[in-house]
Amino acid sequence: MRLRYLTLIAVAFFSAFPLYYSVVVASRHNSALAQVPPPLLPGGNLLANVARVFDTVPFGLALVNSLIVAGSISVAVMFFSTLAGFAFAKLRFRGRNAMLVITVATMMVPAQLGIIPLYMLMVKLEWTGTTYALIVPALVNAFGVFFMTQYLSRALPTELLEAGRVDGCSTWGLFWHVVLPAARPAAAVLGMLTFMSAWNDYFWPLVVLNPDNPTVQVALSTLASGYVNDYVLGLAGTAIGTLPLVAVFALFGKHIIGGIMQGAVKG
Amino acid sequence: MTPRTRLAAPLLAAALLTAACGGGGGSTAAPASDAAKPGEKIKLTVGLFGDFGFKPLYEEYKKTHPNIEIVENVTQFNDHHSNLVKRLATNAGAGDVEAVEVGYISTFTAQPNKFVDLKQYGLDKRQSDYLDWKWQQGLSKDGGRLLGLGTDVGGLAMCYRKDLFKKAGLPTGRAEVAALWPTWEQYIDTGKKFAAANVAGAKFTDSPGEIFRAMVNQAPVGLYDAQDNIIVGSNPDVKKAWDLSNRLTQEGLTAKLAAFSPPWNTGFAKGSFATIICPAWMTGFIQEQAKDATGKWDIATVPGGSGNSGGSHLMVPKQSKHPKEAAELIDFLTSKDNQARVFKEEGTFPSIPALYDDPSIQNFTKPFFGDAPIGKIYSEAAKALKPQHLGPKEADVRVAIGNGLGRVEQGKQTPDEAWAQVLEDVKKIK
Amino acid sequence: MSALPLAVTRRRRRSVRHTLDLRVSPYAYVAPFFLLFCAFGLFPLVYTAWVSLHEWTLLSDTQEFIGLGNYATLLADPYFWNATFNTLSIGVLSTVPQLLLAIWLAHLLNRRLRFQTLFRISLLLPNVTSVVAVVVIFSQLFGRDFGLINWVLSWFGVGTVDWAAGTATSHVALSVMIMWRWTGYNALIFLAAMQAVPRELYEAATIDGASGFRQLRSITIPMIRPTIIFVVIVSTIGAMQIIAEPMLFGQSSGGGGGIATGGPDRQFQTLALFVYEQGFANSTFDFGYASAASWLMFLAVVIVAGINFLISRRVRGGVV
Repeated sequence: MRLRYLTLIAVAFFSAFPLYYSVVVASRHNSALAQVPPPLLPGGNLLANVARVFDTVPFGLALVNSLIVAGSISVAVMFFSTLAGFAFAKLRFRGRNAMLVITVATMMVPAQLGIIPLYMLMVKLEWTGTTYALIVPALVNAFGVFFMTQYLSRALPTELLEAGRVDGCSTWGLFWHVVLPAARPAAAVLGMLTFMSAWNDYFWPLVVLNPDNPTVQVALSTLASGYVNDYVLGLAGTAIGTLPLVAVFALFGKHIIGGIMQGAVKG
Repeated sequence: MTPRTRLAAPLLAAALLTAACGGGGGSTAAPASDAAKPGEKIKLTVGLFGDFGFKPLYEEYKKTHPNIEIVENVTQFNDHHSNLVKRLATNAGAGDVEAVEVGYISTFTAQPNKFVDLKQYGLDKRQSDYLDWKWQQGLSKDGGRLLGLGTDVGGLAMCYRKDLFKKAGLPTGRAEVAALWPTWEQYIDTGKKFAAANVAGAKFTDSPGEIFRAMVNQAPVGLYDAQDNIIVGSNPDVKKAWDLSNRLTQEGLTAKLAAFSPPWNTGFAKGSFATIICPAWMTGFIQEQAKDATGKWDIATVPGGSGNSGGSHLMVPKQSKHPKEAAELIDFLTSKDNQARVFKEEGTFPSIPALYDDPSIQNFTKPFFGDAPIGKIYSEAAKALKPQHLGPKEADVRVAIGNGLGRVEQGKQTPDEAWAQVLEDVKKIK
Repeated sequence: MSALPLAVTRRRRRSVRHTLDLRVSPYAYVAPFFLLFCAFGLFPLVYTAWVSLHEWTLLSDTQEFIGLGNYATLLADPYFWNATFNTLSIGVLSTVPQLLLAIWLAHLLNRRLRFQTLFRISLLLPNVTSVVAVVVIFSQLFGRDFGLINWVLSWFGVGTVDWAAGTATSHVALSVMIMWRWTGYNALIFLAAMQAVPRELYEAATIDGASGFRQLRSITIPMIRPTIIFVVIVSTIGAMQIIAEPMLFGQSSGGGGGIATGGPDRQFQTLALFVYEQGFANSTFDFGYASAASWLMFLAVVIVAGINFLISRRVRGGVV
């Protein structure tokens, strides 16, 4: 028992340390990075450095953009993945297995492979520089479909669906009344994971967006593009770019992560 | 403006595999003909890598051109150039004005159809202002089109830490220090003396990369011959630079800190190295990195004569909707007065010889460098410059050689093994 | 998985609609994914396949068809094989301990605990922290001259380790970064699956006196097999495509080398980084060669993920 708590406390400490350390560095001067042993307590420059971040890049806009992008992607991914996962896990149709294999195979395509053609496509659609270019291609993803398929195949008792059928539910009715409630815990996790990866995605946003309409990651890159490597500025940006997310998880964590607790369907 | 040899990058920005540069909404390439109607609002985007010191110039420009709005998109060095390529390849998204560093200039001038010929807008009138070789670099390969106008040149000097020299029992005055190393061999001998004094925590120089680049740049012919053949294997000057650079490593004179990496920055603050190659733009860099080292750094002449390291051009991509206005803006940003002004604020040195004897430049000193007469030092360096022909894949050849020097430095290969691999790598460059 | 029996219906019209519903709705449900994939996934895929058959650089206006020339050159390119080796090495080093640790953490969290939410949120922190900051900080920790890790090692009389210089040491440093980022993420996925395991099984096992570890082996792992398969495949795919960490590590470690060569000796250049180097980082901008390399990389991912799938399918209890 005690060992379990110790393990978890150690894990929590290691997990939080880099973020904490970003805050420490962000509250000091660049020279702090050259100290041995490095400083472990925050200095007094945090607010000044944060102000510098907002002066250097449109960080407010970046935060709003990132929220919109990550938020809409998460909601769409949760919904469409549950829908497709339900079909793959519990419905019979011709070509089901082949389709599932294709879905998983699409995850294996190296991300860099598509950058140029995808960019050309966005040029044709005139979406370059807008958040559409980030949102639309990401509305559904193979990861989500696969995730929900695996979860529902185990967690959704077939008897429950059969009972629903006998009660005269259409497939859509089943989805709405039986599948969604059962999928809630996994969907919450999926939503969270999706939100995080959308928030932290920079490879594609950097190609398709411009620094005047950035997401948080694009803004962070601009921060550091000056001709001196200003870590303090960069890590101050990282801290402001990450802490809202942590705050959201802390506030709603009980609901999101707690959802995992209540979701277990007693089969 | 910050020329970099090895494609070394500031770290945070590096986080970006690719970064957006240029703006321009990204519609498909429009024919460059629609001149703006008078009084119409025009937005020009300027794509740069780092701070060129242009911001005050924009403000001034807007006073005389109230209908022009200027947006500056700054991305990190490598991302800027690779993104520019993507935007040229897809004919969308590039800015109206794009900066190109000298290591890439031949790559881009080899594609004259992707850029606006600035002669159309009368910029060839500027030829008499410029250093001839700097002007030539901005021309298309056949010399028929003017694709870019130079911003700055990187005449060479050597920066050194007076306090560390003193500890090692070496002279600290500019003239005496310069007298220590007329040649690179003597520079190495001075390094050995420095090493023998065992100054705690300090090596003689940072790493051989930038020094190699400087040595090659001092030769009449560098990595390419005039016909654009890579001659790394057959040019004795390149081999000599290679051997000398590796001697620095073998004598244990380097701190093994690659230029522009975070530990290298830390090295400035820590005083981990006593000398560093100093093209003009580096002075701004040192001042930023070693804020609390005011008066510790000073500047002397570079061993082995004069050379150029770095510098940039401004170009207008074909896809720009406002090529005329973009060309006018370039004309303004690179004007004689503005180049002088940027030098005083940022340290990047003008490519306009008429300025070199101008008293305001000749008498310009920097307190940070112990009031070193940097105007005079870099003017002399720029005047003595012998132009060198650069080839289209200059950057790739440098990476291959830089990696070779790194392998020797990390103790993975002997210089001969590393050289053999460099020659193999260079052969593969198309 | 059993098929749904046709519910007995009285009215014909309704039964027609019902049949339609059964036949059509599955396709309708998976359609959004496939439609979007065709638009934004398939076109780039096919296009790059076409590009890979050409001598095609980003800046030139002419492209020459060379068939499988790029592939032949690649297979003879020692740097490609070096990158393949590095990818597999870093992949194994980072994935195996990561998954074992993730299952163990999920198992610890799958109980009534005090500060439950706090612990679970802490699992997410690494993944929320932007990769830029992660690599800045870890590169500093692994720094040669002033790094915290070498400083600690020096108490035990270990000399200065140049983490980025050696092949093995750089792989270890990178694996630590990758593990740190993804362990909590995967633990959370496992946890979500574990929550669906009926509590009665554990209660019965506890009455029988089975230890926690025993319960993990004989109840939890068999019950969450689909999720384990899922995580193994996704992690494999992820590990095969690592690019940000080696790229940033190369630039922030001070060892020099090109921006995308993964150290001067290419000691930690991964496949994805190799593709990036060929296509975007060197001034040749060899789009054709990079496309061919990413197609070979795609094949490699398929093979490795396939092998792992077959292995993880055999998981019963016991050995993972």
